[in-house]
Amino acid sequence: MIVVENICKTHLGRPVLENVSLTIEEGTNLGLIGPGGAGKTLLLKIICGLVKPDSGTVTINGVDIHKLSATELAELRFQIGMLFQNYALFDFMNVFDNIAFPLRQEGKLSEDDIEKLVRKALLDISLPKIGDRFPNELSGGMKKRVSFARAIIRQPPILFYDDPTAGLDPVTSSKIYLLLRAMQQERGTTAVTISHDIDGIKDICDVFCMIDRGQIIFHGDRNAIERCEIPLVMQFWRGFSDDDLDG
Amino acid sequence: MTSMADNKPMQKTASKFMRLLAFIGKHFNDWASEIGGLCLLTWQIFLNLLPWRWQFDGPETWRNLYQVGVKSFPIVVVTAILTGAIMVIQSGLYIEQYGAYGLLGWGAGYTILREIGPILIGLMFSGRVGANNTAELGTMKVTDQIDALRALAIDPIGYLVMPRFLAMVIMLFLLVVIGDFTALIGGAITSQFLLGVNMKLFAASVIAYVTLDDLFHGLIKAFIFGCAIAVISCHFGLSTKGGAVGVGRAVNASVVGSAIAIFLIDYLIAFIIN
Repeated sequence: MIVVENICKTHLGRPVLENVSLTIEEGTNLGLIGPGGAGKTLLLKIICGLVKPDSGTVTINGVDIHKLSATELAELRFQIGMLFQNYALFDFMNVFDNIAFPLRQEGKLSEDDIEKLVRKALLDISLPKIGDRFPNELSGGMKKRVSFARAIIRQPPILFYDDPTAGLDPVTSSKIYLLLRAMQQERGTTAVTISHDIDGIKDICDVFCMIDRGQIIFHGDRNAIERCEIPLVMQFWRGFSDDDLDG
Repeated sequence: MTSMADNKPMQKTASKFMRLLAFIGKHFNDWASEIGGLCLLTWQIFLNLLPWRWQFDGPETWRNLYQVGVKSFPIVVVTAILTGAIMVIQSGLYIEQYGAYGLLGWGAGYTILREIGPILIGLMFSGRVGANNTAELGTMKVTDQIDALRALAIDPIGYLVMPRFLAMVIMLFLLVVIGDFTALIGGAITSQFLLGVNMKLFAASVIAYVTLDDLFHGLIKAFIFGCAIAVISCHFGLSTKGGAVGVGRAVNASVVGSAIAIFLIDYLIAFIIN
C-alpha cells in the first residue's frame, strides 16, 4: 500500500504541490488525471523517491521512503518500475541492451535467461526485430513501447506509468492497455497511471484522482467520478469544455 | 517637511541601489551554489574511491577510456607536434642571434614539459572531452535518463561519474606523456629543417639540461587538471536545467570553468613548488 500524506513542494518560490494526500491500495491501479502543468509528473516522482518533497511523507508498505538511506532506497527501487513521459531510453545503448539493462544490473539471471526475457518482451510490445537499433532510430511510439518493456522487465510489484500511450496509434495504445491490465490481473501489481487518454484508462484504473494547480480536487472510484459534479472533473471525464474557444 | 516630489530622486536612487544589491546577491548565490555543488560532487567521488566503497561500472569505464583517450589521441598528437615546432621557431630567433644552438633543446624541452604541454593539452582536452561529457550528461539529465537510472536502483555517481572521472584522469595523464614526447619530436624536426640545428644536438641538449623534475612537474599538473576537468564537466552536466538551451549553457559554463581552473591550478602549483 502506498500512502501519500500532506506533500508540499515549491519551485522557485511558487507552490507546485500543496498538501497532497492520497492512498493507493495494494493491487489497485490509480489513474492520475489533470491539466498539463498541474503537478502530476512531479507527484509521481515524489512517490517513487526521485524528488524530495519540502514537507509531507510517502510510505510504501509502511516504510517512509524519504527517510531511507541511499542503499535502502536502491533496495526498494528493485520493487518499482517506472515508465517516463519522454521515454528516458539510454541513448548509448541499443534497444536490446536498454531492456536488458535492469536485469543485468540486478545480476540474478544468466545472459541466456536475460536474452529469452528480452526477446519475449520485444514480442509482447510487437517489436521483435528492433533489438539492435538505437533509440535515435525509433519513432516516438516505438520508443514508448521499448520504455514500457524496460519498466516491466523485472516484473516489479509496483509500477508507475507517466503517460503510457502518448504519441501511440489507437491499436498500439489498446495493446499497451491490455498489457497493463494483464500485469495487474496476473501479478496483482499496484500502479499509478498518469494519462490524458481518459477513454483508455477508464477500463484499466480502479480509482481516479484529479489534480489541479497542485491540489487534489477529486479522489474516488469510477462510479464516484461519473457522478462527480465538480465542473473541471466533469469536463475532463466527458472530454468537453463549456468555455468558448475565443472566450 | 519634504514633499513627495522632493523624495522621488531619493526613491529612485534607493530603488537602483536595491536592484544592484539584488543583482550582486543573485550572482553570489549562483556562484555559491555552483561551488557547493562542485565540492559535494568531489566529496562523493572521493567516497567512491575509498577501497571499502570502491564503486564503478567496469564496462562503462572501458567505454569511456576508449572514447576519452583513443579518440583524443590524433588531435593531441597534432597539437603537440605544432606546439613543439612553434616553441623552436619562437626561440630560434634568439638562439641564432646568440649562437646558443646547444640550448635550443633545453629551452623547448623545459617549457614544453613544465608548462606548454600540460596546459595546451589540458585546454584541448577540456574543449573536446570535457565539453562532450557535459553535453552527454546534460542531455541525459534533461531527457530524464539520470532519473531513469535512479528509478532502476542504479547510482548515477557509480555508473556515470566514476567511469568518466577515472577515464579523464588516466587518459589526460597518458596523453600529456605522449604529447610531451611528440612535442619534443616536433621541435627536433623543426630545429633540423628550419634552423639547421642537428637533431642529435637538440636531443643532447634535452638530455643534458632537462631534468626528471621538469617532467614530473608537468605530470603533476596533468593529473590535477584531469581531476578538475572531470569534476567540473560532470557537475555542469548533472546540474543542467532547461532543455536544449540549458545543455548549451552547461557546456559553455563547463568549458569556461575548466579553462579558469587550469590556469588557476597552474598558478597555484607554480607558486607552491617554486
